[in-house]
Amino acid sequence: MMRRAQPWLGTLVDITAHGDAQAEAQSITQAFAEIALVHRLMSFHDAASDISRLNRAAPGELLELHPHTWRVLQLAARMTELSHGLFNIACAPRLVDWQCLPRPGTTESPPYQPAVYRCEQSPMVCKLAPGWVDLGGIAKGYAVDLAVEALQRAGVASGCVNAGGDLRAFGERDWPVAVRDPQAPQRVGAQLVLRNEALATSASYFSARRHGGRQVSALVDGRSGEPLVTPASVSVRAPRCDIADALTKVVLASGDARHPALAGLQAAAFII
Amino acid sequence: MRYRHLIPLAACAAGAPAFAAQYLNAEQAQKLMFPEATAFRQQDLALSLAQMQQVEKLAGLAARSVNWRVVGAYSGDQLLGYMVLDDVIGKFELISYAVGLNPDATVRQIEILTYRESHGGEIRLPAWRHQFAGKSARTGGLTVGDGIANISGATLSCTHLTDGVRRIAAVAQVALKK
Repeated sequence: MMRRAQPWLGTLVDITAHGDAQAEAQSITQAFAEIALVHRLMSFHDAASDISRLNRAAPGELLELHPHTWRVLQLAARMTELSHGLFNIACAPRLVDWQCLPRPGTTESPPYQPAVYRCEQSPMVCKLAPGWVDLGGIAKGYAVDLAVEALQRAGVASGCVNAGGDLRAFGERDWPVAVRDPQAPQRVGAQLVLRNEALATSASYFSARRHGGRQVSALVDGRSGEPLVTPASVSVRAPRCDIADALTKVVLASGDARHPALAGLQAAAFII
Repeated sequence: MRYRHLIPLAACAAGAPAFAAQYLNAEQAQKLMFPEATAFRQQDLALSLAQMQQVEKLAGLAARSVNWRVVGAYSGDQLLGYMVLDDVIGKFELISYAVGLNPDATVRQIEILTYRESHGGEIRLPAWRHQFAGKSARTGGLTVGDGIANISGATLSCTHLTDGVRRIAAVAQVALKK
């Protein structure tokens, strides 16, 4: 077994692979290369990323993006639809105003509006209105899925990829996972076992703080653009990590661990 | 029953071990960073006051330390690059890591060696941190609870680590660049 970790996507990404020693090291290197690609394409911080290009684009502009970025934008649009607007990646102007994200250049934040882009035929995306998107609520999950696929392509029999708490295990092996206690995050709040499955968790205990006289966090209710500050922690199990990652925000905003969006995506949630 | 494995652990509060993970030891990290190297030489750095000031200017951060643990990677007599070892403290976590650098001081690779969390305020106590100093990490050794390898939770920011990498890149620029 080999286990490595590197800083990507603003957090630590931890990869474990079971296989023969030489293959393990190489396959993990390939998996990190996929994570690095997602980091480069989808970073809000990097002015050269696909996301920064989309954010700078004028309404009506048609952009050719990397197929990975297109897929994540399309999945995000689908999650917005399935959640009736609870999940929305266009909340970035709020996150910038609350200093959860850096301000791109010296530009003033555009007002929050839910529909700022439309996915055309891959890899084309049309900017619909002035606005900023941030993939912080979904790209980590997508990166985990890509890394898992890279490990599988490299012949790794079983493994686990964990991007700062959003993880996916594959292969015929049980993976014990501890979920942080939202009241005391250094402690275990729940413990479960994963096998061929993803688990993502969202909560505001690391990002919540006071800004302009009120509580804000890195989590936003897509309908109102208001911050989600709750003592709860939401975890979602799903076959894929991108879906699990996005669905945690749906459950957190709705407070409904049986939200109708879950079942259709073979997902299940629990709140602690 | 989807949740047959989900056991609330209210009982495991006080006294339970904090989260920790061990990834690579320094030898494993240097081999991964410089697979073509035939020799590694320890060549620790002691910065002069002027160099410390340059590092602060370049990194925009306090230089923090005069002494730096550096390993040079060589193929025969040819310098391939360096690996710098460091630790950073976050909110409640202590991270030991290695930064691989090219001879021109650009960052080549970052590998985490060990990750340890404290339950509370101990992270600020030198005694808590020193209990881990000099301990070599075993690959894959799990020190959390009953073999819990992975933690799920809200995303923990790694700003202090990226600051650490930026500081090391500046140290390399000032004192190692060929």
